[in-house]
Amino acid sequence: MKWNRRLEANTLRKIEGSLFIAPWVFGFLTFVAFPLGYSLYMSFHQVKITVNTVNYTFIGFQHYREILVANGSLLYEELLPFLRESAMMIPIILVFSLLVAILLNLRFPGRTLFRVIFFLPVIFSSGQIVQEFIAQGEGSLSIMETLRIDYYLQEYVPGAWAGPIQKVMGSFVLVLWYSGVQILIFLAGRQTLPAAVYEASRIDGSGPWNTFWKITLPGLVPYIFLNLMYTVVDLFTFPSNPIVSRVNTTNYGSSSALAWIYFSIILSFVLLTLWLYSRVDKAISGRR
Amino acid sequence: MKIVERGNDLAARLQEDPKLRGGLELLRYRVLGAEIDKGLLFKTLVYIILINVAFIYIKPILYMVTTMVKDARNILDPSVIWVPKTIYLGHLQEAAHMLNYGKSLLISIGLASSVAVLQVFSCAIAGYAFARLDFPFKKLWGALLLFTFIMPPQVTILPSIMLFKEFGWLNTFLPMVVPALFGHGLKGALFVIIYRSFYSTLPKELDEAARMDGAGPFRMFFRVMFPIARSATVVVVLFSFVWNWNDFYFPSLFMFTAENVPLSITLARMAGEMAQAAGAGEITVYAEAIKMAASFLIIMPLLVVYLFAQRWFIEGVERTGLVE
Repeated sequence: MKWNRRLEANTLRKIEGSLFIAPWVFGFLTFVAFPLGYSLYMSFHQVKITVNTVNYTFIGFQHYREILVANGSLLYEELLPFLRESAMMIPIILVFSLLVAILLNLRFPGRTLFRVIFFLPVIFSSGQIVQEFIAQGEGSLSIMETLRIDYYLQEYVPGAWAGPIQKVMGSFVLVLWYSGVQILIFLAGRQTLPAAVYEASRIDGSGPWNTFWKITLPGLVPYIFLNLMYTVVDLFTFPSNPIVSRVNTTNYGSSSALAWIYFSIILSFVLLTLWLYSRVDKAISGRR
Repeated sequence: MKIVERGNDLAARLQEDPKLRGGLELLRYRVLGAEIDKGLLFKTLVYIILINVAFIYIKPILYMVTTMVKDARNILDPSVIWVPKTIYLGHLQEAAHMLNYGKSLLISIGLASSVAVLQVFSCAIAGYAFARLDFPFKKLWGALLLFTFIMPPQVTILPSIMLFKEFGWLNTFLPMVVPALFGHGLKGALFVIIYRSFYSTLPKELDEAARMDGAGPFRMFFRVMFPIARSATVVVVLFSFVWNWNDFYFPSLFMFTAENVPLSITLARMAGEMAQAAGAGEITVYAEAIKMAASFLIIMPLLVVYLFAQRWFIEGVERTGLVE
């Protein structure tokens, strides 16, 4: 009897939970799962759209073969430089936002004012306004020209990397503009580290330098990876990036195939991040 | 040799004279501090870094504002870089006219705020369910939530267009609004994650206490759980509003031929028109100023919202609503 009642309560709880999650699940099935399956379906077909009907002809992997092998210019000439660019932008964004978050966490007069300013990118960076600013040359640093760094780059760095490095340096300010949300995440993460630990380390005579490396940084590891993931996702889905703008309504079949190829690249990056995280997490907790 | 001797002499005197020594130690204390991060030197360094970066963030805005109030004489005058000699508001009028400002502004406000309100409720419900409730296949749905967050919208955009076309929703606001009703829409997965992480930090006793008092699950959510998540809500509302306001991608694909479009689209259309005019040989010194005026008109409402909301926003972020 007792067992029965507990079972009942358990089912009741499950029904309650299901009621709460139902709208989201419904939305997921309609607006995510269905289009996802459909685009996979289209990527294996030649899609012809007429006024009233849509015709599909099964062509197997032809779209994929075309993008990956036969006509690789799109993927290799536009995607690879972009990947190299992101490979440089991501560490810069992470280090910069960590630095700023730690500075903003200190107590000093005028902190509120600085915080208000530093969250401005959160507002602007998603919009077209930033594109406008890049077009005006607001993104570049004038040091580049005065020190003739371009010239040295061309001279000493292998060609495949010189271009992306130049581009990142040229839009360095832009990189800073993209770190708004990351600063927020680090700042919020920093609040979760207990003040008692800092107190204890201070009493034990540890300086700020040691405190940073021994307490703050290990404590922030989860947030570093959260930010890494966020940055990867954000950079790769930004509408102005080269691949994304190629996914358009001119050819449904091959666009879908391209989107899937692109998605699998992103997914492998994120999985790599998660795998790294689990390794690092294990290493840190092992040391403790 | 003499210098060394004199130095030694000075050092010896220092050792002896307690007053001088005290003064020097006070100086050292002031400059370097008892710990590094308390001293004057460190503080100056912090301010230098912060002011520099703040300048980088503010400069485009300053540039925008100063450029848009320059008339022809000020634009051509090489001695005017930042501060124009006279203030001219004609560009603002021109840009407002080209953007169809009155109507587009209302559309943008309506669209962004309705999506924000819907997303707050639907994402709070979903996040609450993920954090505190039990339902079948919870792990699987959690993984799919992460998947939704990672997935670029481009993968599903084409079938979505076809789907919405089937519903007859193209060129309306429904493709943006309806997914928000179900906790999706622009970055919906991120908002669900924010709420989930907020709710999972609350103590278990809260549910139990409310349950003891006889509150049903829905009453408990709307009376206790939703109001308690105020700090997360502020963050989500602001993000959702701002991102939907700025979003260009979805509206450009779902309402490409619509008559009533939000500001982000009218800006793009305007830029296209101006590029065409420039291509046709119409060279004007005003193009820059008008573009900046248009940008200002689009950003200004966001700035106003942000200035009002920033206090709660920063507080909300600090209450760890944002993190996992």
